[in-house]
Amino acid sequence: MLKYTIRRILGMIPMLLLISIVVFSLALSMPGDPFGGEIDPNNTDPEYIEKMREEAGLNDPVHVQYARWIANFVQGDFGESTRYKMPVSELIAERMPNTIFLGVTSLIITYILAFAMGMYAGRKPYTAGDNFIGGLNYLGLAIPSYIAGVFAIYFFSFKLGWFPFSGSIDIRLTEGTLEWYLSRLHHVFLPAVVLGALGTASYTQFLRNDIIESSRKDYVRTARAKGTPESKIYNKHILRNSIIPLITFLGFDIVTLISGAIITEAIFTYPGIGQLFLDSINSRDFPVIMTLTMMFSFLVLFGNMVADLLYGIVDPRIRVD
Amino acid sequence: MGNKKSFYWLAAMMLIMTLFMAACSGSDDEANATDDEKAEEKGKAKEGGTLVYALDAAPEGLFHWNWYGIVTDAEVLGLFDDNLITFDEELKPQPNIASWETEDNKVFTFKFKEGVKWHNGDELTVHDWVFSLETIAHPDYDGPRYSNVQTIEGAEAYRKGEADSISGIEVINDYEIKITFDKARVNNLLNLWTYPMNRTAFEGIEVADMGGSDPVRRTPIGTGPFKVSKIVPGESVELVANENYWQGKPKLDKIIVKVVDATAVTGALQNGEIDIVSVHPTIGADVEAMDNVELMTAPGLSYYYVGFKLGVFDNDKKQVVEKKEKYANKQLRQAMMHAINREEWIKAFFGGYGDVVNRPVPSAHWIAADNDKLNTYPYDPEKAKSLLDEAGYVDTNGDGFREDPNGDEFVVNFSHYATGNPTFESRAKALTQYWEEVGLKTTLEMIEVNQYYDMIEKDNENMEVFFGGWSYGADPDPSALWKSDQLWNYPRWVNQESDKLLDDALDVEVVGTDEAKRKELYVKWQQLVNEELPMLFITELQEIYGVNKRVGGLTMDVSGMNSPHEWYVTE
Repeated sequence: MLKYTIRRILGMIPMLLLISIVVFSLALSMPGDPFGGEIDPNNTDPEYIEKMREEAGLNDPVHVQYARWIANFVQGDFGESTRYKMPVSELIAERMPNTIFLGVTSLIITYILAFAMGMYAGRKPYTAGDNFIGGLNYLGLAIPSYIAGVFAIYFFSFKLGWFPFSGSIDIRLTEGTLEWYLSRLHHVFLPAVVLGALGTASYTQFLRNDIIESSRKDYVRTARAKGTPESKIYNKHILRNSIIPLITFLGFDIVTLISGAIITEAIFTYPGIGQLFLDSINSRDFPVIMTLTMMFSFLVLFGNMVADLLYGIVDPRIRVD
Repeated sequence: MGNKKSFYWLAAMMLIMTLFMAACSGSDDEANATDDEKAEEKGKAKEGGTLVYALDAAPEGLFHWNWYGIVTDAEVLGLFDDNLITFDEELKPQPNIASWETEDNKVFTFKFKEGVKWHNGDELTVHDWVFSLETIAHPDYDGPRYSNVQTIEGAEAYRKGEADSISGIEVINDYEIKITFDKARVNNLLNLWTYPMNRTAFEGIEVADMGGSDPVRRTPIGTGPFKVSKIVPGESVELVANENYWQGKPKLDKIIVKVVDATAVTGALQNGEIDIVSVHPTIGADVEAMDNVELMTAPGLSYYYVGFKLGVFDNDKKQVVEKKEKYANKQLRQAMMHAINREEWIKAFFGGYGDVVNRPVPSAHWIAADNDKLNTYPYDPEKAKSLLDEAGYVDTNGDGFREDPNGDEFVVNFSHYATGNPTFESRAKALTQYWEEVGLKTTLEMIEVNQYYDMIEKDNENMEVFFGGWSYGADPDPSALWKSDQLWNYPRWVNQESDKLLDDALDVEVVGTDEAKRKELYVKWQQLVNEELPMLFITELQEIYGVNKRVGGLTMDVSGMNSPHEWYVTE
């Protein structure tokens, strides 16, 4: 397994290199640059813009720019954000806790809901309860998160006043106090639910279908014939087998944890990685765009690898070396 | 047994749900509690209290005048840092912390008020200003303000490293300073950078690193009515009253600046969760209808236009190297202006929160020419048609659209930027329909905004008739956008008379210190532009703010809001 892991990690290097070339050229071929766009003539002048372009190396040929960027990148220097005028690594570190917090909360919500609903629906397929859960899930899957977000704010924040409508924290509270932590939870809950609703649907249906399928298998019949209690059959024998396919999702969950939720974060003005990514694209902040895309690409590859390794652990039939 | 199990599952789900509910209602109580507290605070009225100031875009967090780049950062800066000079409702400079004297518009003597304190307790002296100017003139400085310093005598030498200090700056004592410019200009004062920098806060920080340093991003200080006490990057800023503010103790205890997504602005205003927010014209009517909110308007400083590409600019030679003939006919341009029903258009797409404008100068500015001195180009499709007929644009092949004077197909290729705002395409489409009604075939292309301005700047051949906007500052001089050797003269309009008028209006030899004489030249220039129409002036927008009725003491004019130390909250 160690050998397999090392092989996979080594295999990532050429892939990441190729990705970096593609992403870099795509990013640079976006029209405009960080200094153009809508200009406020009172605030800047053509000489300054030209000087900044020259300093940022935007006037050099693409391959020169790429070589310079990749050389710095592999040495851990991700550059300085043209928009925020601070190192990209600091900028990302500043946003990361928010994003991870949102991601973990939404994952927990997804898991709780999906397991509860999926196991219920799988045990009682084709009943009213199952159909209700199914309907709910497809509704969740069909509503885009920007609609869900706006409606959630309207009902739960403005009409009912249960949750704050923006931000990640009430700035009046002192950091570290119990109230502060509660306020963070309070702020993260609504975006997390909106974000989690989407994942819940696919998890639930996946689990349900697998449980139904497993319950018809021979080993289940054998267990029943031997008089094993029904709860033990479902909770032990079937569930363990049905979780295996869900592990594929886990790989992607790692990416969602870090990459944040571009739209949800923007609607809830929740300052995380997703919002940063969107802003950096709009303002052509190349160092930030590149660092974030490379990070996302790495995480996708890494997440897939973790999923493959986990397969080997939970299912002894699958050998990974 | 099976039933029992299902009950178990349902019970588990119920339990989870209840837990959520409990969590929600728990924090709900808390929210109510703080609300009650707030209500108690409000009861005292006029003294103390917290005001929530909303921004509809996240600040970049560059909280120093020397580095900031976007309006939202400037809005926050305005709450905690003062300018040395200020502007009145005609945008003329007025003394604030500093007053000045000059005899020849070349040498200025500034006198600072004594006893003005920085938030960290230091006293503000002229040395802080010198520090600021030298930072900007430093070769490593990476902000956009050098053009506001380079006119000081010796700034260029300092920047090149040939001098240790800027020779034009002479400190007389802690409160008096003499600044000499490289030559006498009418707008030397307006162009000068008048924001000081605290020397202790930036001590030991290299100029190159200042933009990202703590005194800019995390612990900014100023001399203004409020002090920044906490910043949560990208979402909120907490400011507390500065008891020692030089204009008097602020009435409010606190201002919370909070970023609110545009989709939530109306809801948050309605619920009283935010007190002040800049409102987009399209939702102005909704806000005006709210019982608890007052819509405050002030004349704006920006105008929208439709420009024509009349040439191609060479940025190395700094001149227009090629003329484009398609829209060279003045009557064609005037006809296109008469064809547009600007009142109707402003009403439809800006909720009426804008005014028709006939010149590239906002009406509130002191140099603005009166409309009775200009052609007002009222909506008149018949006039437009007869102008086109006169100019030779007639329908020769019977397809319902006019051909050019040579009898060739004539199509107006109109471009507008696209950002994802759904109203942009419809407002652009509306303009094309006005032109089609007078017989000009028009196509519309929506172009992604970054590419759009890139194409305009580089005179891309697909860019013919384009929509744009400019904003105006306190300095009346429009040279940067209009002179024929300027990159941002997007229509590439070359006119000797215009260049001469703009130069004369800045020339001390011609106008001296006589404002009336200067205005006369600018009026002449506006008449010329208004007659030639290298761009069609469409509208000047108003600045609109939604302000909760519990807020008092707030006034607005073209120069912005009054000093926040006068604001208070009632109830």
